[in-house]
Amino acid sequence: MTAETDRARTVLLRSVLALGVGFVLLPLAIVAFYSFSSVAYGVFPPPGLSLRWYGHLLRQPAFGWAFLRSLGIALAATGAALGVGVPGALALVRARFPGRELLRAFLLSPIVMPKIVLGVGWFIFFARLGIQGGVAPLVLAHTIVVLPFVISIVAANLVGLDRSLEEAARDLGASAPVVLWRIVLPQIRSGVVVSALLAFLVSFDQVESSIFLTRGENNTLPIEMFLYMEKWQDPTIAALSALLIAFAFVLVAAGLVVARGADLRRILPR
Amino acid sequence: MRMRGALAAGLLAPALGLMAGVYVAPLAVYFVNGFHAFRDGRILPVWTLQTYADFFADPFTYRVVGTSVGLALVVTGLAVLVGYPLAYALHTRVRSRTARSALAVLLFSPLLVSVVVRTYGWLILLANQGLVNTTLRSLGLIDEPLSLLFNTRGVVVSLTHILLPFAIFPIYSVLGRLDPTLKEAARDLGAGWGATFLRVTLPLTMPGVVAGALICFTLALSAFVTPQLLGGGRVQVLPLTVYNSTVEINWPQGAVASLTLLALSVLAVWVLETALRRLPGPEDHR
Repeated sequence: MTAETDRARTVLLRSVLALGVGFVLLPLAIVAFYSFSSVAYGVFPPPGLSLRWYGHLLRQPAFGWAFLRSLGIALAATGAALGVGVPGALALVRARFPGRELLRAFLLSPIVMPKIVLGVGWFIFFARLGIQGGVAPLVLAHTIVVLPFVISIVAANLVGLDRSLEEAARDLGASAPVVLWRIVLPQIRSGVVVSALLAFLVSFDQVESSIFLTRGENNTLPIEMFLYMEKWQDPTIAALSALLIAFAFVLVAAGLVVARGADLRRILPR
Repeated sequence: MRMRGALAAGLLAPALGLMAGVYVAPLAVYFVNGFHAFRDGRILPVWTLQTYADFFADPFTYRVVGTSVGLALVVTGLAVLVGYPLAYALHTRVRSRTARSALAVLLFSPLLVSVVVRTYGWLILLANQGLVNTTLRSLGLIDEPLSLLFNTRGVVVSLTHILLPFAIFPIYSVLGRLDPTLKEAARDLGAGWGATFLRVTLPLTMPGVVAGALICFTLALSAFVTPQLLGGGRVQVLPLTVYNSTVEINWPQGAVASLTLLALSVLAVWVLETALRRLPGPEDHR
């Protein structure tokens, strides 16, 4: 093998990578581009550029309310899933009891359950209970959907912990709950943060599980967009999508900056 | 620290209570409907297996199951075929750590954007006068625009794009755990790049491929938004049967279709998990 063929291979593989990144970003880029189109129909390239679809978007306050509703539901579902999932993961990893593996499989099973099946199940269930509309059923449903992510990530973070710290705390007289709160939890903080971020994103993007629980007044943002797209396909959705893409990238950038800042603080000598 | 039984039970109780009330109970109430009948727009509270018999006697059911499984297989295959070279190139041909994490963030960034938005992007790209057709036409490759929307093609392309990060991620993480001395040993023993890849790298990264395929297949099988928005009614998959049955208030048929979909998912998970257990992991060769 010569260095030349290896260089050719590197060029080829890097081109493949560039093409792949292009393919992955293309639909997002085209959405951002079309939000500035001057016409309603999809033609490439658009005959002119304008901001009319952003104006159109501003005149549809339903999207704004749906965004705030989705944000609230995602925050509540993430909080609830952390509240019940972190203690559950602790017990799953630390306690020894018969049927533990079965219990773990049960708690993670909503990942495999098709979302549309869950959605219809919740629709019938909450209707039977006489609970219709409002955000409470959505928060409960999303909590179940994101709970497996919290449990699996937190459990994975608990597995490799150094037990001697906990033993030291016990020897110094700390009770079991105090050890969990003061010694174990601080060590899995990054796992908890990652699982919370993932839970938030997953909740924010629920369509199938929620489509039968919404009835107009309590539409979440993805449902509002889905229903709009079933009727119209003008670039109003592109304008909204462009704003959402920008929002997502700002969040990621902020996350990266915060993560880097945290790392720097740890590395830099005081 | 060993945990006492009472503490463990107390820690698990809230999660189990929530799962019993908001997961097991709704699914049970729903699935029970499959043992009722549906006549003239009403659910009859009789106990019968007629809905199951009707569902599985209908040739349309097998067409829908065939379309669902076929679509999931094709999309999974494509996602792995496209995802593997990307994960491999990212791992082996990008030396700078910063560039590598930046590219990884870009490859996974679509996950931050709603599946509705991503599907909408493909709706614009694949339109008759969209970017794809215009480009192909200006290159002289086609005379008439290809119809890429409201049929299987558009759904396949769009679903592959949506599931690609789930294929890349497990393969990339297995590549990262691979012992680099194995590759060097193969080279030292005279194996070329191709032989090293086929006999060392590829077999050892199969667990990542299978794990990625598992996620892609189950997600593709239960995909709803993309077939609904891009299929134009021509891509009849099981999730759409579930949706349409529910809209028609035919809960018994919806319940049977749902259990069929669930059974297919569980079967796929079982087959691929069995395959995963039989494969050697990268650590086994250390």
